Parts: sequence; C-alpha cells; structure tokens
Amino acid sequence: MNDLAEAVRIVLATDVLIAILASAVYGLVVGSLPGLSATMATALLVPVTFWLSPIAAIATIITASAMAIFSGDIPGALLRIPGTPASAAYTDEAYAMTRKGQAELALGAGLWFSAIGGIVGTLSLMLMAPLLAEMALSFSSYEYFWLALLGLMCATLVARSSPIKAIASMLLGLLIACIGMENPAGTPRFTFGVTDLLGGIEPIPALVGVFAVSEVMRAMASAEPPKLPPRRFGSILANQWLLTKRYQWQMWRGNIVGIIIGVLPGAGADMAAWVSYAMSKKFSRTPELFGTGHPEGLVEAGASNNASLASGWVPSLLFGIPGDTITAIAIGVLYMKGLNPGPTLFTERASSMYALYIIFILANIIMIPLGIVMIRLASVVLRAPRSAVMPVILLLCAVGAFAIGNNPFSVLMVGVFGVLGFVMERQGFPVAALVLGIVMGNMVEQNFVTSLIKSDGDVWPFFERPVSSVLAAFTIGALLWPLGVWIWNRLKSTTGEIVR
Amino acid sequence: MQISNRLSGSVLAALGAAAAWGGSRLPPVPGQDVGPAAFPMVIGFGLVACGVLIALGIGRSFEVEETPEPLTWRVLVPPGLLVFYVLAANELGFLLTAAAMVLAAGLALGARPRLALAMAVIAPPLVHLAFYKLLRVPLPAGLLPAPWA
Repeated sequence: MNDLAEAVRIVLATDVLIAILASAVYGLVVGSLPGLSATMATALLVPVTFWLSPIAAIATIITASAMAIFSGDIPGALLRIPGTPASAAYTDEAYAMTRKGQAELALGAGLWFSAIGGIVGTLSLMLMAPLLAEMALSFSSYEYFWLALLGLMCATLVARSSPIKAIASMLLGLLIACIGMENPAGTPRFTFGVTDLLGGIEPIPALVGVFAVSEVMRAMASAEPPKLPPRRFGSILANQWLLTKRYQWQMWRGNIVGIIIGVLPGAGADMAAWVSYAMSKKFSRTPELFGTGHPEGLVEAGASNNASLASGWVPSLLFGIPGDTITAIAIGVLYMKGLNPGPTLFTERASSMYALYIIFILANIIMIPLGIVMIRLASVVLRAPRSAVMPVILLLCAVGAFAIGNNPFSVLMVGVFGVLGFVMERQGFPVAALVLGIVMGNMVEQNFVTSLIKSDGDVWPFFERPVSSVLAAFTIGALLWPLGVWIWNRLKSTTGEIVR
Repeated sequence: MQISNRLSGSVLAALGAAAAWGGSRLPPVPGQDVGPAAFPMVIGFGLVACGVLIALGIGRSFEVEETPEPLTWRVLVPPGLLVFYVLAANELGFLLTAAAMVLAAGLALGARPRLALAMAVIAPPLVHLAFYKLLRVPLPAGLLPAPWA
C-alpha cells in the first residue's frame, strides 16, 4: 500500500504531468499525419527523454504511443489513408462509414474502444506481470535464448508478407547487431577498420532511419494526399454506449486477442488489428456487411490494437524482450534511466511499476477528451501541407540522431538505414523484423553462446528444462506455422478442384 | 517483381556467405570451443538459405502484391541531405545547414518557393532553441551563431 501511495506521489509531480500532457498532444498530432507512424513518433521522442526524470521519460513514451495509435484512425476514416500501420486493417471499413455519413460513429468508435482497450490491456499488465515475475526469477540462459528467439520469430509472422522475407529481414538485423566489439571475445567484428563501428550500431539511429527517413523518401515519390474539406462533426460519443452494449462480446474478444498478441514478444499492434478484424469477420453473424461501413470489425480491431500496446510491456519489463517496435524503444530508455528490465523490477522498484500502471490508465482516460478535440481539429491539422511537414521531420531525424551521442556518425547511420528501409519495403521485406533483430541481437547472441559454453557445445540441454522445452516448441511452431498454412491452403484448393 | 526477387535473394545469399566466411576467420577465445565466430556463422547460413528460397520465389503466395510508386531521383534527396548535414554542419553551423536542408527538401516535395523559404527561415531557429537551450545538445555554431547561444 505504501508503494501505491508513493506511486501516486510520483505521478502527480509537475514534471510528469506536463510530460504526459505535452506528449499526448504530440502523439495525437503525429499519429494523425499520414505516413508518420506511432513508432516514429516514439523514436523521435528519445532525445527528449534524456533530460527527463525516469518516470517522466517513460510517461512520454506510454502516452505518445497510445495517442498515436488512436490518432492513426482519424485520417483512415476521413481520407482512407491510415495514419499508422495499426489502423490499416480497418481503414476501408471506417472510410465506408464516413461515406455513409457516419464519420462521427466511426471516429467515436475508434476513440472509445481504443481507450477501453488500453485500460483493459493495462489491467492485464498489472495482473500478469507480478505472476510472471516469480517464474522469471528461475530462468536461465536457455530460457532467455528461446524467449528472445520466440520474440524474433513472432516478429516475422507479419500479415501480408512472405514469411521467408520476414525471416531474412530478421537475420539481417541480427547480422547488423554483430557489428562492433560487443561479442564474447571482445574482438572487433565486421568493423572494416572504421573506428565509429567499434561501438556497434545503435538501435535508435537505425529505428529513426527505417521508420522516419524512409517515410520522407517515400513522400518524395508519391503524390500529396488529398486535402480534407472542412467539416463540422456532430456528437462524437453519442452512440458509443449503444455500440458497446450491442458488440460487447466482440469488444472483449478484441481486448483479449490484443492482450495475447501484445504479450507475445515481437508481435505488436498492427498484427493485433489485422488478426482481430479478420476474426470479427469470421465469427460475425453478418459477415457480408463487412467492408460496407459496418462498425462491428471496427469495435473489435480498435479495442485490440490499443490493448496490445499495454500488454506489450509485459515481456519488455520482465525480460527486456520487446513486445513490438515501440517497446523496443522503451527498453532502451528504461536502461538509460537505470530501470533495467527484469523480474526484480517488480520486487525492488514496485512503486515505479505502480506509477507506470497509473500513467497507462491516466493516458487512456485523457485520450477521450483530447481525442475529441483532435477529431474536431483534424481538418485544420490535416491541412498542413506535406511539403512543409516532411522537411521538418527530416531535420528532426538529423538533430535527434546527433543528440543521442553528439556524434555526426549517427546522422550518417540514419541516412544509411533510411535507404535500407526504403529499399526493403519496396521489395516486400518487413522492416519491423529488421529493427527487432538489431535491438535483440546482442541478447540472443549472449544467451546463445553462454548456453553453448555451459553445455559444452551440446544442443540437447537447450530442450531439457521444462520451461525452455515449451518455449522451444513455441519457437519452432512459429517457424513452421507458415509452412502449415501453405500446406492447408494447398490441400483445400486441390480438394476444391476435385469436387468441382 | 520476380526479377527483383531473384536479385534480392541472390544479394542476401551472397551477404550470408560473406558473413559466414568472415565470421569463421575471427580469432577464437583461447581454451573455449564457442567464440565470436559461432553467431555470425549461424546467421550467415540462415541468410544463404533464405536468399536461395527468395530467389526461387518460395513464399510468394503470402504476399499481397502492391504496385509501388514509380521511382524518381527525388527519393535520394533525404539521404543526400543527411550526408550534407554531416559534411557541412561544423563549417556552416547548424542554422545555415538546417535552413538549406529544409529548403531543399521542401522544394523537392513540390512546395511553392515562398512556403519552402518561410519554413527554412522559421523551423531551424525553433529546432535550435529546443535542442540547444532545453535539451543542451551542443549544436555547432559555425558561420551564423544563434543569438541565444
């Protein structure tokens, strides 16, 4: 109880409250601009977090990412351009509702069910994390190896992309993480005599390059999105209670699926939205209405992506294994602020953890009034010409990368990763897997080598302990999953042909 | 699409082979079987396998074909400007370098010259103020130091 009182005191500090409010506005604006994703918004925040207290720093990341994930629904519903990839799953549906004159209902559903999803996700985080912390205390390098690998494999299960390309992206990320002296022997590896490479590739410049610079590059090649005509909105929350009652079951299913996908290391909000939307359609009594402006899928997927955001912090806080690209950034900030992820975080720094939960709930509550203001101002914000926004983003990429180590080499890396991200995306390689590979490379290698040394080069002990064998089964399952899907589709189409 | 799959697959396979070879030449830890070579070699072999599979077009049934926008030379403007920043920031100073970046990027994105110019004048001082004053990042002063620096 003392910890809880302490946590309330921490959160109510002026700097934390200002950080929450400012990052909320920032997240809402950035998320609503097409092409600027929640991950990018978070990555560009990192240099700012250097000068904040630990809790204020984490608060900015939690708040900005939650707001950006909701805010991505706005251009999706109004312009049919998802503001963030997590909104892409139901953009067509929301836009169809707008065309039917139900823009308020679509946007209100995005807002209302995002907030509920966020709160339910937070409750799951509060419930699960301490339980899993007990278990995590007994983990050895074998379990950590499999857990990290499972995270990487989950990151490759991306919707709408070839699993082999995703695995290749992930391996490329791991290879990039090999660069530098951070290896079992401390010898310079793949540095080609470049002094700046001795310290390895920092994840933040890579993230900024892949998610922000490549987006500016894409803007160079694509046409400017259409302008939003000024419009007056009716009541945003008017019929949301009705929707909540009618689609209660869908809402809970969305929340739960979101939580499960979030807890899986490596799989994040985009994945949750795609899975939940597909699930909603599959189990709906009226699947034929999907795509014509039917709120059911919107409810489920909107609840799902925000729920996954909160539960994605479970593996991050407990094991230092990111739940998605946003928590990958958050883990870096946690280390920087001396809140090293691990099970002891929950026993020794309990008040900080409670503070984190409170911030999550606070962020999802203020999302509703701020979100309504944002929706009403959307036509003003979205009128900002892209040719004015993107140059400033590029400048922020340069300054932000420089700020991390006061090293111009980081700015160069941002450019290199921008090109890499752009090329990979065009070739159909998912970039999130690359980024998670870079972030987790050292951890995977360290646990892999430690385990191999412990076992004298024998592979069998990797499967011997009960938890590690379960994790190994999951990992191998994730690896073989696409193969199973492929065989299943093959069988279905051949039997279909025979019947015909 | 198939041609580029063949190309990207071959590139990855070659990269994997190079990684495995480069990894295998790393000095071992004395008295230890497993050293810095193990991990790059595992990854290298994995990349070779993935590269070959991609080149053969396996796994394409999972992809959603999207026709990307046609390429223009302008996509090279953002990375080019970042290189320009690295080369010029110390000499010219942050304000001038940043103004040139914003102006060039704005024009490349099709902004009217008046808008691009206005952004180039307004944005750099604001960014400088935020990063130099609030976040205490030592941005180079160069030819044109900011009045508050």
